[in-house]
Amino acid sequence: MKPVTVRRARGSLGRYLLRRLAFLLVSLLLASVVLFLLLRLLPGDPANALLSVGATPEQIEAARHRIGTDRPLAEQFLPWLGDLATFSFGTSFVSSLPVGPEIASRLAVTVPLTLLAFLLALVIAVPVGFVAAWRSRTWYGSLLSGLSQLGIAVPAFWIGILLVTVFALQWRVLPAGGFPSDDWASAPDALRSLALPIVTIALVMSASLIRYVRSATLDVLGSDYLRTARSLGSSFVGAVWRHGVRNGAVPVVSILGIELATTFLGAVVVESVFALPGLGSLLVQAIDQHDYPVIQGVLFVSTLAVLVIGFLADLAQRLIDPRLRSGVGT
Amino acid sequence: MSGLGSASEPAALGEPEAGTVVAPGSRRSRRRSVALVVGGVLVGLVVLVAVVSLFWTPYPPDDTTGGRLSAPDGAHWLGTDKLGRDLVTRLMIGARIALQTGAGAVLLGGVLGVLAGLAAGFAQRWLDDTLAALLDILIAFPTLLLAMLVVAARGASLASAVLAIGLAMSAIVARLTRVLVKRVLAQDYITASRTSGTSWPRVIVEHVLPNVWPTLVVNLALQFGLAVLAEASLSYLGLGPPPPNASWGQLLQEAQATVLTAPIGAIAPGVALVLLVVGVNLIADGLRDVADPTRRRSS
Amino acid sequence: MKRKAVIGGILTAVLALAACGGGNGDSGSGSADANATIQVGSLYEPQNLDNTNGGGQGVTEAFNGNVYEGLFRLTDDGEVEPLLAEKHEVSPDGLTYTFTLRDGVKFHSGKALTSADVKYSIEKVTAENSQSARKSQLEVIKSIATPDARTVVVTLASKSISFVYNLSYVWVINDQAKNLSTSEDGTGPYRLGAWKRGSTLTLTKFDGYWGTKPSNSGVVFHYFTEATALNNALLTNQVDVVTSEQSPDALKQFDNADYKITNGKSTTKLLLAFNDKVAPFTKVGVRKAVSSAIDDKKLLESVWGEYGTLIGSMVPPTDPWYEDLTKVNPYDVALAKKELAAAGYPNGFTFTLDTPNYDPHPTAATFIKSELAKVGITVNINVITADEWYTKVYKNHDFTATLQEHVNDRDVVWYGDPTFYWGYDNPQVATWVKQAEQSDTEAQQTALLKKVNQQIARDAASDWLYLYPQIVVASSKLSGYPVNGLNSQFYAYGITKS
Repeated sequence: MKPVTVRRARGSLGRYLLRRLAFLLVSLLLASVVLFLLLRLLPGDPANALLSVGATPEQIEAARHRIGTDRPLAEQFLPWLGDLATFSFGTSFVSSLPVGPEIASRLAVTVPLTLLAFLLALVIAVPVGFVAAWRSRTWYGSLLSGLSQLGIAVPAFWIGILLVTVFALQWRVLPAGGFPSDDWASAPDALRSLALPIVTIALVMSASLIRYVRSATLDVLGSDYLRTARSLGSSFVGAVWRHGVRNGAVPVVSILGIELATTFLGAVVVESVFALPGLGSLLVQAIDQHDYPVIQGVLFVSTLAVLVIGFLADLAQRLIDPRLRSGVGT
Repeated sequence: MSGLGSASEPAALGEPEAGTVVAPGSRRSRRRSVALVVGGVLVGLVVLVAVVSLFWTPYPPDDTTGGRLSAPDGAHWLGTDKLGRDLVTRLMIGARIALQTGAGAVLLGGVLGVLAGLAAGFAQRWLDDTLAALLDILIAFPTLLLAMLVVAARGASLASAVLAIGLAMSAIVARLTRVLVKRVLAQDYITASRTSGTSWPRVIVEHVLPNVWPTLVVNLALQFGLAVLAEASLSYLGLGPPPPNASWGQLLQEAQATVLTAPIGAIAPGVALVLLVVGVNLIADGLRDVADPTRRRSS
Repeated sequence: MKRKAVIGGILTAVLALAACGGGNGDSGSGSADANATIQVGSLYEPQNLDNTNGGGQGVTEAFNGNVYEGLFRLTDDGEVEPLLAEKHEVSPDGLTYTFTLRDGVKFHSGKALTSADVKYSIEKVTAENSQSARKSQLEVIKSIATPDARTVVVTLASKSISFVYNLSYVWVINDQAKNLSTSEDGTGPYRLGAWKRGSTLTLTKFDGYWGTKPSNSGVVFHYFTEATALNNALLTNQVDVVTSEQSPDALKQFDNADYKITNGKSTTKLLLAFNDKVAPFTKVGVRKAVSSAIDDKKLLESVWGEYGTLIGSMVPPTDPWYEDLTKVNPYDVALAKKELAAAGYPNGFTFTLDTPNYDPHPTAATFIKSELAKVGITVNINVITADEWYTKVYKNHDFTATLQEHVNDRDVVWYGDPTFYWGYDNPQVATWVKQAEQSDTEAQQTALLKKVNQQIARDAASDWLYLYPQIVVASSKLSGYPVNGLNSQFYAYGITKS
């Protein structure tokens, strides 16, 4: 009977995947349209970014004409939609550079930063959270828990400032900021620039992850099924692995997904401290200059990232816990 | 980033922390009341300072006679900032701003979130699916971006910051409320109450709200701390209230230019932030078991 | 302990990373290194690469004199020298200018410079859709003729004594070049290497340059959005020089033998600009009273410490028609009160001050508020974004008073335009400005503009709070860098690094 069950389960998993994918695309499109409208309803004139004091009214009009904001909303919308269909994000109002390559070069900084910080946070949080729960009644268990309590109360940029002061300005072992102009051509140089930012983000992220891992572990350790499994003869490690991880991991995975997703753009604060040319700072600059194509492009990419990460997290949950596999609905 | 609105506590997302049945007076319960006391003292200290700042500060807030970046001495206990303003004074005003932001955001986020969550909790099938998905998307929408759009629309001010943070918070609160409401609605006593003729509004008031209330309070307490951190980040990026804003985040932003020559300015506001947020989190921890000591772990 | 081990591991990894991958190499020796690349730190990134298309202050800094050259060059001391125009002649009636171009000049693409390129370049600035800040000043041009490849003849509609000076801002561009917003084709000693927006802009030595080769092999401009990050980069030797410090706080950390701080001449003025067409600032007496009620010296000290200069009018010390007019409306609270009463406001009045939200405007606004309170004037501070300022104040003139910094030199002539945003309308001054432009000699021009200067000070057309300092901080290994940074230009070809 097993093969049949697996096939049926896989089939429903496949259908589920397709449904989620369709949902993802529709959400993306909807979000983009809403953003397009929202931006153009905001006060402020993108043409102002191109002007200097001394500009005549004719020059002001000419600027608006060049970037197309003097046309009615409907006329601006269709070309943009067409651009989207061909995976082009248009050109920046301010720099006239195509938006796509610019976003790509920012991603070359933000993606490694986020992923490496995430990995480091996991490496720290999983063992520490586990120990904090397993030995929760000891002094070091409480200490770990207390430290994580402190960790979630600290603003990320403060940690960044402190790290820069110590490691870059005082000890001069790492750069104070910036990113090599030739990107990843020299990987050690690029990694040196990312070292302190990665540690900053990882410290803050791990503090909060520790609490989740600890909570999930406490759940598992005190659970009935673990007691049952042990009473039936399984070793502690075996029982924890077979039942504990499966059950405990599910909520943790969903949290991981959210943490990773929000760090994408949320890392802008860290980018500011370390002068990194990442996605977040591009967005801040674009909003400041009312550079709509860039804003839309960045948000499209980040919404896509968020939705994809959420989707992957969901998938991971279902793979870990067979009970969720053949379920219908989200 | 957990400093910007994502939940950093299990309870903040509706995942109940591991609680076993606890008898009052046991070690865990004693530890919890310690948490409550310590948290209360920390927060109380900040509140005291903020209230005092309304009536008295060592110097008038705009007073620039202190000499730039002077070291701590008898006249200025923590020294002065780059314009000669007394740091203690600015910290006190910052305490006021932090508490205003936290309270305002929690009020806005709480009210909006609970109402939305109630509605979502009652929704069925496709409406339920849609609302759940919508809430998920809203939660994933970075608070920072929301704040920037609000600032672009309304100009930078404390109100804009509170509005943005409150809106972001309401999505998380709504999601939690939805889960809790659904759980309550699935209980037998609800069906019983309905069959005996109680109207929906009365059911909500008499059964639903009292049962979701404890968990919500804990969650809102945690969100308070997150709101304070979010405001600090916004001020740091220049999206908070405009100068002469004295929010702790703004103080840190101003101090980082002179962190080597005048370190106090870069340390004191950070310490203040940590104390307040830790205090609030400890209170939330303490409330969790005080509010519902017999709560059992549920999956 | 797990956590200790982990932290230890992180520290080791961090130190290991620090060991490999080097920082900027030190050439070690004391003599100049002709192959050195100069790392420049700046807060002003170009918005795009075309200064007639909204490129902004940043593209002037990076490209003026480095990548693009004009017929004339404005030196760091404010002198106008011939550059691509080897010589020029002016007809006796002052309406026809004949420029003879230098021989043997090539663009970066290899094409030779001809008069057609010059004609194209000038017309680009005066074109209808040009965003150039110099467009209105060159509108006096009636026609441009190119009788041969080395001669350009420009005919003006009326005399313009500043014409040659204005031409120093016009880039000479290859008339066949495309995509000028994202690429370049100029005649300068450097060509564009790469522009990584948000990060760096690289210039490399152009081997086919007609003139003296640069003293270095290239320049990399590093762009920062925060002054702290910029200073940190200088402190850790990621950059060799910072083009313009924005506040004196961070200077203490450079006060040692490794760095040199220079205080040059600046043309940026902070103005409290009244709307002269709106009550109560329609009255000269009120404007004078407000000017005398504010202690400019104290404000300057609190923002800039020991740096910066006080000015009594719109003209900075580097302009030829400068005069010290700080005594015309001196700081004198008693005098202010008297003037207020005489103007009909013995009990003061209330007004809204539209304040840009970036430094130093909010600080200045707070200071002004407390100063004016002492004479009974209540100030409501309305903080707005740069964007709002353009729309509300500059375009719509919907304000009573505002704060703003003005960076250009020779901009006293704006007081001759009654439609300018501050609404100063004095027909005599307007006449003098027109006459000054049509002077036959520079002495004449100077005399007339001095009269303008004195008149606007007497009329307290605006309140000129102070002149910014121009502070450049560089590593001691560097020499030959510009210290005045007139109009944001930063000539890099003379910089040597030892």
